[in-house]
Amino acid sequence: MGFNLQLLFTGVGVGSIYALVALGFVLIYRATNVVNFAQGDFAMLGAFAMVVLAIDFELPYGLSIIITLVLLVGFGALFNLGVYYPLRRRSFLPVIISTIGASILLENGVLAAYGPRPQSLPSMIAVPGFSIGEVFFDTQYVVILVVTVVMVALQYIFFERTLIGKKMQATSQDKEMASLLGIPVALMIMITFMYSALLGGLAGVLVAPVLFVTVGMGSSIALKAFAASIIGGFGDVTGAIIGGLALGVIETFGAAYVSVPYKDAFAFLVLFVFLLLRPQGIFGERIAEKA
Amino acid sequence: MRSVARAALGALAAALMVAATNAQAADPIKIGMVAPLTGPGAESGRFQTQGAKLAAEEINKAGGVLGRPLELVIEDDQTTNPGVVLAFSKLAGDADIPAFLGPIRSTQIHAMAPDALKLGKPVMIGGTDPALTHMGNPWLFRFRPNDSYSARVIADFGVKTLGKKKWAIVHSTDAFGTAGMKNLVEALKGQGIEPALVQGYPNNSQDFTPVALAVKQSGADVMGTYMTFEPDQGIFAKQLRQLGVTLSWVGSPTTVTTTALKLAGPALYGSYAVVDFNRDSNPTAKEFAAKYEAAYKSPPDIFASWSYDALHVLANAIGSAKSLDPEKVRQAILAVKGYQGAEGTYNFDKNGDGLHGYNIVKNNDGTVVFDKHIDFDD
Repeated sequence: MGFNLQLLFTGVGVGSIYALVALGFVLIYRATNVVNFAQGDFAMLGAFAMVVLAIDFELPYGLSIIITLVLLVGFGALFNLGVYYPLRRRSFLPVIISTIGASILLENGVLAAYGPRPQSLPSMIAVPGFSIGEVFFDTQYVVILVVTVVMVALQYIFFERTLIGKKMQATSQDKEMASLLGIPVALMIMITFMYSALLGGLAGVLVAPVLFVTVGMGSSIALKAFAASIIGGFGDVTGAIIGGLALGVIETFGAAYVSVPYKDAFAFLVLFVFLLLRPQGIFGERIAEKA
Repeated sequence: MRSVARAALGALAAALMVAATNAQAADPIKIGMVAPLTGPGAESGRFQTQGAKLAAEEINKAGGVLGRPLELVIEDDQTTNPGVVLAFSKLAGDADIPAFLGPIRSTQIHAMAPDALKLGKPVMIGGTDPALTHMGNPWLFRFRPNDSYSARVIADFGVKTLGKKKWAIVHSTDAFGTAGMKNLVEALKGQGIEPALVQGYPNNSQDFTPVALAVKQSGADVMGTYMTFEPDQGIFAKQLRQLGVTLSWVGSPTTVTTTALKLAGPALYGSYAVVDFNRDSNPTAKEFAAKYEAAYKSPPDIFASWSYDALHVLANAIGSAKSLDPEKVRQAILAVKGYQGAEGTYNFDKNGDGLHGYNIVKNNDGTVVFDKHIDFDD
């Protein structure tokens, strides 16, 4: 029993990391209809920014988080101007390739600037965790879980209950129509990139104490988060979180009961099954056909 | 104005030619060296060339070899296989070079090995893939213990010194980890032990809970590991301790790298590891480390110690062969027995392996201390 509960807790913890990054994927997808393959690298940048601020410059942890998030919001704007905006009138393919290029550039840029040595970041909570019965609860995973739930709730309220969220949705569904209605499309997309860079950076800040800080950390999480977005249904916030959690739990139990070396295979097997049988994901897209 | 400049250039050229002739008059013995000066291995290349330069200075201060000074001719291999082949063929074209120092990475040595065989001159290497000296190439001489010894030392230390019989093996599923696991299973079989758990994992796993739980459930009292990347090792070590597993741990050299110590912190306290170079393992190592620090203002590591030893052994071999003839130098290297180097005691076997054992070190609350050296006769 303790064995399974431990696996469940870890699976949900890992899954919420995937979900957090998946949220960023979904957000940009909803606004621009393209998948941002540099989303994982936003997390990597956030983690490295924390290492530089909190460890190299020895700033207080909370202040470092705030500066990191501000930096990432700015970076999201730059990313939009450099990677998406010049290609906005092209089809989705050049944009996707552009984000892949940005991802490679970011990883190698950080590698050249900071070197290949992995870094560690302490947790924001000094207590490493607590045990209930046989099950160990890692505090950082608990924090990740809570933050993910909060961010999902905020995102839901933002999109469904605020005017600007609705404007962003309209932009995502039909840019021409939206602009005819007087919605500043370019600004909406700019805000989307800034917010999703912030989300990615937040994921990096939260994940760094658990996974350590390496140049490749973002892309390995992003691959799973991408799978989670497809399983949950690209374009649906609830779907991303359910997909992420399901993926985390499936791969953790698969590893424990079937085979550890094939752990990554379980995630992509689930992805494969979904692509084959239900390509629209668990929740599907509410607007099936997009212009 | 222009003619003045031309005259100055002429004088400079003449001076350079005089300098060149002077150098020729001293007639140094050139030793070719292939090292990663650029690319991902650049950091290790710096150690490697500095170790060799330190040895060359010592040899020349003591009168050189056959009455002639040694001169290192270094070519950059760019840390790539094509780079190694290019660099080596450039050096091989110089008929005045009687012997070479090669790279430390096994894959690159495999890439240049056919050229070394064709050239027929001795090449000192630092790669630890056992196959390198067992594939019929008589010109490769190894100055680090090969990987089959690390597994034997882990098994020997765990069973005989720690007295543990119930083993768990955790390994990366890449080439390094799988080969290490196979060697360790084999070595334990030699001690009459069947491991309670052999558990592989893919590199860059975000979570090791299933692995840690498997180790816990196996009831093992000692664990041997071949883990490739330090972040994986750090996550595993932390989760293992969190789940309350407190068994003895004897790991591959990754377990005590500076990065591993920093990432895992207290989770790795009390663990053991095999390493080929440790400054406290013997007096020569201690002396080497002190000289290296004095010369380069930073402590040496495994990338520096083997090239230092290799140049010394090569110089001795040329001296005792009294010739630069490749075959005579080859025989002289193979005849080296009981040479005390920084990495250990060199006893060359017929395959060209100089070292046959490893040091065991312990992570004593974050500092790495020398525990013992285990050597084998075969």
